This record gives sequence, structure tokens and C-alpha cells, in this order.
Amino acid sequence: MITLYLGVSLVAAAVVLFIMQPVVKGIHASLEREDDELTETEARKRVALLALRDVEYDFLAGKLDEEDYRSLKADLTAEALAALEADEAAKAGLGAEAGDAALEAEIAMIRSGLREGVACPDCAYTNVSGSRFCSACGQALGELAAS
Amino acid sequence: MPILGEFALWISLPVAVWGMVLGFAGGRSQRGDLVLSAERSIYAVFGLLAIAAAGVSAAFLGDRFEYWYVASYSNANLELFYKVTGLWAGQRGSLLFWALLLALFSSICVLTNRNRHREFMPYVAGVLQGILLFFIVVLLFADVNPFERLDFIPADGQGLNPQLQNYWMTIHPPTLYLGFTAFTIPFAFAVAALLNGRLDARWIQLTRRWILISWLFLSVGIVFGMRWAYEELGWGGYWFWDPVENASLLPWLTATAFLHSIQIQENRGMLKVWNMSLVLMTFLLTIFATFLTRSGLIESVHSFAQELKIAYIFLSFMGTVLAACVLLIVYRLPELRSENQIESFLSRESAFLFNNLLLLGAAFSVMWGTLFPLISEGITGQQISVGPPFFNKVNLPIGIVLLALVGIGPVIAWRRATKKNLQKNFTAPVAVGVATGVVLWVLGARHELALVTWSISAFVLTIISTEFWKGTRARARIEGEGYLLAFFHLVTRNRRRWGGYMVHVGFVMVCIAFAGAAYNTDSRFNVQPGDVVEVASPFGHAYQLTYEGLSMSIGRGQRNLLWQAIATVSVAQDGDPKGILTTEKRQYTNRDSQPMTEVGIRSIVREDLYLILSALNDTNGALNNEPGAQGIDLQVLIKPLVGWIWIGTFLLAIGTVIALWPSVDRRRMAAPSEGGGVEAAPAGAD
Amino acid sequence: MKKNPRFMVGLVGVAAVVTYLIWTGVSETMVYYVTPVELIEKVEADPTFHDVGVKVGGMVIRGSYRRVEGELLHVFTVRDLVEESATFVVEFRDALPDTFTDDIEVVLEGRLREDGVFEATTLLTKCGSRYEAAPEDLAGAPPHPTNAP
Repeated sequence: MITLYLGVSLVAAAVVLFIMQPVVKGIHASLEREDDELTETEARKRVALLALRDVEYDFLAGKLDEEDYRSLKADLTAEALAALEADEAAKAGLGAEAGDAALEAEIAMIRSGLREGVACPDCAYTNVSGSRFCSACGQALGELAAS
Repeated sequence: MPILGEFALWISLPVAVWGMVLGFAGGRSQRGDLVLSAERSIYAVFGLLAIAAAGVSAAFLGDRFEYWYVASYSNANLELFYKVTGLWAGQRGSLLFWALLLALFSSICVLTNRNRHREFMPYVAGVLQGILLFFIVVLLFADVNPFERLDFIPADGQGLNPQLQNYWMTIHPPTLYLGFTAFTIPFAFAVAALLNGRLDARWIQLTRRWILISWLFLSVGIVFGMRWAYEELGWGGYWFWDPVENASLLPWLTATAFLHSIQIQENRGMLKVWNMSLVLMTFLLTIFATFLTRSGLIESVHSFAQELKIAYIFLSFMGTVLAACVLLIVYRLPELRSENQIESFLSRESAFLFNNLLLLGAAFSVMWGTLFPLISEGITGQQISVGPPFFNKVNLPIGIVLLALVGIGPVIAWRRATKKNLQKNFTAPVAVGVATGVVLWVLGARHELALVTWSISAFVLTIISTEFWKGTRARARIEGEGYLLAFFHLVTRNRRRWGGYMVHVGFVMVCIAFAGAAYNTDSRFNVQPGDVVEVASPFGHAYQLTYEGLSMSIGRGQRNLLWQAIATVSVAQDGDPKGILTTEKRQYTNRDSQPMTEVGIRSIVREDLYLILSALNDTNGALNNEPGAQGIDLQVLIKPLVGWIWIGTFLLAIGTVIALWPSVDRRRMAAPSEGGGVEAAPAGAD
Repeated sequence: MKKNPRFMVGLVGVAAVVTYLIWTGVSETMVYYVTPVELIEKVEADPTFHDVGVKVGGMVIRGSYRRVEGELLHVFTVRDLVEESATFVVEFRDALPDTFTDDIEVVLEGRLREDGVFEATTLLTKCGSRYEAAPEDLAGAPPHPTNAP
């Protein structure tokens, strides 16, 4: 009987201590957004690039014909560029580490890649203009490189 | 130990209240100390429920029959395995087990996200704790406490129904419960999104893995139940449109719809309200299923009386959750506007939408058919029921169209596809489909629905294998890899897509198997030892079955067994001996009933040969070993393609695991890949 | 938000087809689910009811079961759960479920013939409230109090 009450009290006490400690001692859980979390603008950028990738893939797989591919691609490239710029602006506005040189270089690469049309359809890695195969995943770039 | 468990359950009540309140308060006020306390409460509730569950198990293992629950589902002679798993043998323990699993998943979710997604987590913790609180309240106050004690100590328990003493029946409830409880996490994130205003696809991306895990367990759990029914119920059937089966099918249907519609939101920013509604509906259906499965609500004529209290409690909970979420959705309607529209009738969005409509249509019909007796009684005073004919009549056509969509989806482009391209992509597969139908017809198959199903299946499989083929070949050429390696790399590079294809292949195989039921055969014989009977298979060959004899074994074998009568049958296929099958009757001591039948099954890829010892001509004579008392009624079933259900499900499971598997790919910095976003870090529990 | 009209047609079409399937499904396959008392009353009130397929829930009377020699035919008597005097004989020509026994609740599908015998095409047994025991039935239970002072 005694052992039972002892056991129960121990468990109860442990639980209460465990739960109350943060409030009593002022220990805080982090509520900040971590560095690699996507913001709204980043999410939009992601979606735009994803859509571009899908169009490339669909075209290469023969699901879209040339006409549709070109017009969709034009629309989507414009959207992607707009999303990129919006995202950049948001980051600059926040004054965050977005001014980072590496990130800028990355964005510049994507932008040029989009303009020159050598984003890989499968993994969206931006290849050097004129590549026939994606350096990241090996996917054939085909007609893209020629455009 | 059981008493400690009981106390632990009581302690968990205030802890859950505390955690729920602090989760919401901390999220609202952005106070990290409150949030940390709320998160710790989740761990604490998990620990306490674990102690409670251990207490129940200890009561089983210690034969503590003063506990009503133990006395109802165990007895001294019960095998250890069933005592250990007694926790979920009945309603009360199942509810505790459910709560324990939810607490486990909640703890994992909170632990892995302690430094991430912080704008969601406080609310997620609050919601999860609230649901846990509900289950704890039910356990403690709705007359379903597993720790309830009798006024006396029975000399022995009732024991476990022998039909439940089967491997599949033991793993079927936990698997389903894993599916139900895992789905609570996406629901919690959805509510958190409604509360914090992040209503883009973020909450979906974060919970994609949880959705897949839940769907995996739901699918597999349902199939385990089918396997149990097939082996144990002795009629060779695996699905009866029973209310309990239907209850677990409902959330599966809506979860499948959800799996597809979230891709539309991720890709095109559409269907936000729809997805919110679907996640809410699926969650409510999991609660409904939990409640329905273990209460007697639907089953008897004029049945409301039986478990009224718990019915009211569950329905009130569901009603409250529904009302609260609808209010939240309405409040957030402006932010839930679609960013785009459907551009074309011929597009992947459109295909997915039709998929959703069909799945929801099927769910509605299943719900309607299941609840019809209650509804009709409420309205007309007369209970009217609908059975398998209804469910089959409505769902078979829906299933067939869905099957066709499985082939169309992968090939049709997002946004808009041109007719020219569809023609180009579909001509070959359609030709294969039609050719398959023709070939089968020529071979003698005449059942319309089965022919249609198999033709469409051929169509779908052609499309999917072409996708695999094209991808593998391209990769093999470029990388100079062998095809096997190329295939492996292809799949691992884009697990979501290729895992998904594999899931669909598994699904198609299951559909092929279902259509095989159109050709089931059923023959009955009364045989004496030495008799040979012949049964023809729809595939053209014939089995010669020789009844060798009956062997009786008394008081040996498994516990609780009075006697066993084993009928041995040698099987030959077109004269070629293939081995021996046995089928038995077993009389158990603890059930005041007829002997249980154990069937004998011989499975090959094409079909199952299913033997049932229906009856002994002279039970007493056989027990006394009298000569001439060895005649039996033997029922022989041939079930074409049944094995494809299990194989297909296995493939489906593998495909889901592949789609789930996190990828650590640092090269994908510049653009989105499978759910990894711009994170360079391992995608973890994304 | 303008919606593609062809799309809406498709959407409405699917909904319509599903509704139609459900509607005809119900009307073609529905069966009344009655108690023995209700069934007996119905056929008395309307003799054509003998031809209507119904679903009946009742209880097997202890000792009433017998198997007819030489045929696959089981005969037993079923009573109403509440009104013990409302009974009829049942004929069933298929394999009995393993759980069939005396005093068990059964659900039958079939029709009540003019001769008062119920011809069952389907037989399902229900083991009380899902295998759960009433405390009084457990071994070692104290005897029920009768006229407690």
C-alpha cells in the first residue's frame, strides 16, 4: 500500500515539476522562424519554379506540343521572374542576410538560366548554356539547349 | 502495477487540460515559456498513458480477473501472445490504446519540430492535447474505464473468442489505429494554419509525410482485416460491406482524395477551402470509425439503446469540432481564395478533381448505405437496410472509372493538355486495353464488369510501365548505367513520382484481383475416406482432391482446445500431385458454441484452392474412432486471382514507403525538389 | 472567377450519376429490417407480404435446432427478443456459421412463407454485445440477489 502511494506521488511530482519548470523558471521554447524556413514569397517562388520544371518535363516527355510548350513557358518564366524579384524585395526589406553574396549569385544564375532556357526539367539545376545533359542529374536537355 | 496505471490515467487528465490551454495561450501571446510547458505536457501525457497501458497489460499477464476488462477477454489458459495483446481486444482497452498511439505521435511531432515551424507548433500542441483530453475524458467518465473492477474476483475469465485468436486479427486493429491517429497530425496543422493565418501550401508541405504514413497504415490495416476475414470467417470472402468495415473504409476514401487534391494546392494554389474541408472530414471520420467499430451502434434492430452515453459523447465531440472548424474556415475565407483557376477540362487538375469527386461519391454512398437503417428508422419508424448488392451496385462503376483515371493522371499535363498530345500518348495503351479485352473474350471470359476492369487495368499498366521504361532508358543511356542501376537511380531521384507510380501499380493489381471474384466457383461434396472429387478451375485445368481421412486429437494442441478434427486432402492438378491440404474443426472449451472451422488454402499466383470442412457426418462416432464415422461435408472453393490482393498491397506499401523516404540532396539548392524546399538540410520529418 | 463551362458540366454530370446510382441502388436493394413480432403483424395485415424479402433479427430458442438427415437443411425456431411468444420456424439451406448455437441472436434474410415457416437465404449470428461478458455470467459470481430485505 505504502509503496503504491509512494510510487503515485513520485510520478505525480515528477510530472508537475517537468511541466511547471518552464513557467516558473522562465525557460522559453523558441518561437522564431528558423533560417531555412520558407516565407510566403519564397513559397511563391518555389511554386513558380516547380511549375516551370513540370512544363519542361511534360514537353520532353511528349505530353505538350511545341506551341503550347512555348506559350506556357513564356507565361511561367514571367511569373517565375516576378516571384524571384518579389522575394528579393521582401528579403531586402527585412534587411536580412539575403544580402548574402552567395544567395545573390544563386538568384542571378537562376535568372540567367531562365532567360537562356537551360534549367534542367528534372531537377531544375541551372546548367551552363549549351549543355546537352544536366550536370546534376543527367537528364537529357535536348531541345532546350538549342533554344 | 494496474493500480499505478489507473492513477496515471487520472493524473493525465489535469495535465492534458493544462497542456491544451497553454498551447493556445502560448501561441496567441507568443510566450515561449507557456509553449514549452505545453510541449512538455505532451511528453508527460504520453508517459502517463504508457504507464496506464502497461497497467492494463500487467493485469492481463497477472490474470487479474477482478478487472472486468481482463475477465471479458482473457482466461488463465489463454496463450501468452493474446494476453499481451489483450490491451486492444475490446472497446475499453482499444480507446486507451488509441490515446496512447496519439500521444506517441504527438510527442514525436513535437520533439522533431522543437526548433522548426514555430509559428505552427504551439497551436498544433494545443489541438493535439485537446483531442487527447477528449479520449481521457471518455475513458474516465463514459463507463468505459479499462480499470473498472468487479465486486468479486471471478475464478476465471471468459477467454478470447477463438475467431479472434488469429495473427491477422491481432495486428489489424493496431495497424488501423496507427493510420487513424497519424492523421490527427495533419489535422492539427490545418487548424494551426487557420489560427495563424499561414494558409498557403505550407501546412501541407509540413505534414506530407504524416499524411502518407497515415494512408499507408490505413491501407495496410484494412487489408489485414480482409486477410483475417478470408482466413478465419470460413466463407472465402474478404469484404462484406459490414458497418465496421465500412467505417474504416470511409476515412481511407477521403484520405486518398486528400492525397491527390493537396498536389493541386501545392502546384497551383487552388482548392484551399476544399483541402481544409477534406482534412477536417477525414479526421472526423477517423473518430467516427473508432467509435463505431467498438460500439454496437449500427448492428442490431432497434439498437440505439445499447451504448447511449458514449454515443452522445462522441457525437457531441464531433459536432463541436465540426462547428469550430467551419467557423474558422468561414472566418479565413478571404485568405483561402484560390490563386488560379482550372484552365482546361483536359488537364491534370481536372483529372485529380474528378478523382476527388468519385472518391467522395463513393464515400457518400458507403456512409449513406451504412447509416440508412438509422436514418430510415428515424424518419419512417421502420428500419430499412441495404446490403452488399447496394454497395456493389454503386461502387463498382465508380471504381472502374477511378481505375481509368489512374492511367490518365500521369500522362496528362498540368494546366492544359492538347488533344493532339493525348491522342499521341493514349493510342498505344488504349489499343493494349482493347486487345486485352478481346483476347480474354476469345479465351472464354464473358463477365462484362470483369472484362472491362481487366481491359482498363491493362491500359493503366501499359501507361505506367511506359513511364518507367522511358525514364530508365534515358538515364541508362546518359549515365552509361545498366538498366537495373538506372532504374534504381531514377526512382531514388524523384521518390514522390516513382513511389506514387508503384502505389498505383499495386492498386491496379488489387482491382484485377477483385474482378477475379466474378469467376469464383463453389462445390460441395459429402465424402468418405478414399473418395476422389474433381473440381474445375476457371483457368481450364482441374483439381483432383482425394479425401484421405480424418484424424482426431483430443485435449492437445493449443490451450482452451477440447478436441480437433483434421481432415486431410491430397491435391492433384490435372493428375499431377501437388501436396496436401488440411481443414479442421476445433472445439474450444470457453465458448458455448459449435466447433470452429479452420480452412485449408493453397495459393498460387493464378488462384486459391480453398477447402472447408463444413461438417462431420458423425461427430461422436469420429471422436470414438468408430469405423465408418469418418464421412464429412467438404466444400471446395476456387478463388481466382485472390493472391493478387496481397501482392498488390505489398507493392502499394513499398511504393508509399519510397514516396515517404527523406532525401538528402544538397545539390538541389536552386529550386524545389520533392518537398524539400530551399532547405539544404536533410528534409527530415518534412 | 470564371469557370470553364465544360468543366462544370462534367462536375455536375459526375454528381448526377453518383446520385442516380445511389437512388436506384437503394430502391432496388433495400430490405425491411424487422423484428419477428413486426413481421408476423405485417403478413397478417397484408398477405402479399409473404413474397417480400425481409431481414429479421431474433433469438434461437434453446433446443429447437435439428439438422435434416441426408440434405443440407437446418431447422430451428426463432423468437422475438422482447416478446418471447412471437416465434416462427426457420429453414436454412446453407452452411451454418461457426458461432451458431442456442440462445444466440441471429439476423436472417429471406421471406415468411404462407405456411408460417421462414425461408432464410442468409444467416448471420451476433454474439451479444460484441463478445463482451455480463458480469453475472462470469465464473465465481455471487448468486443474483432475489428478494433482498
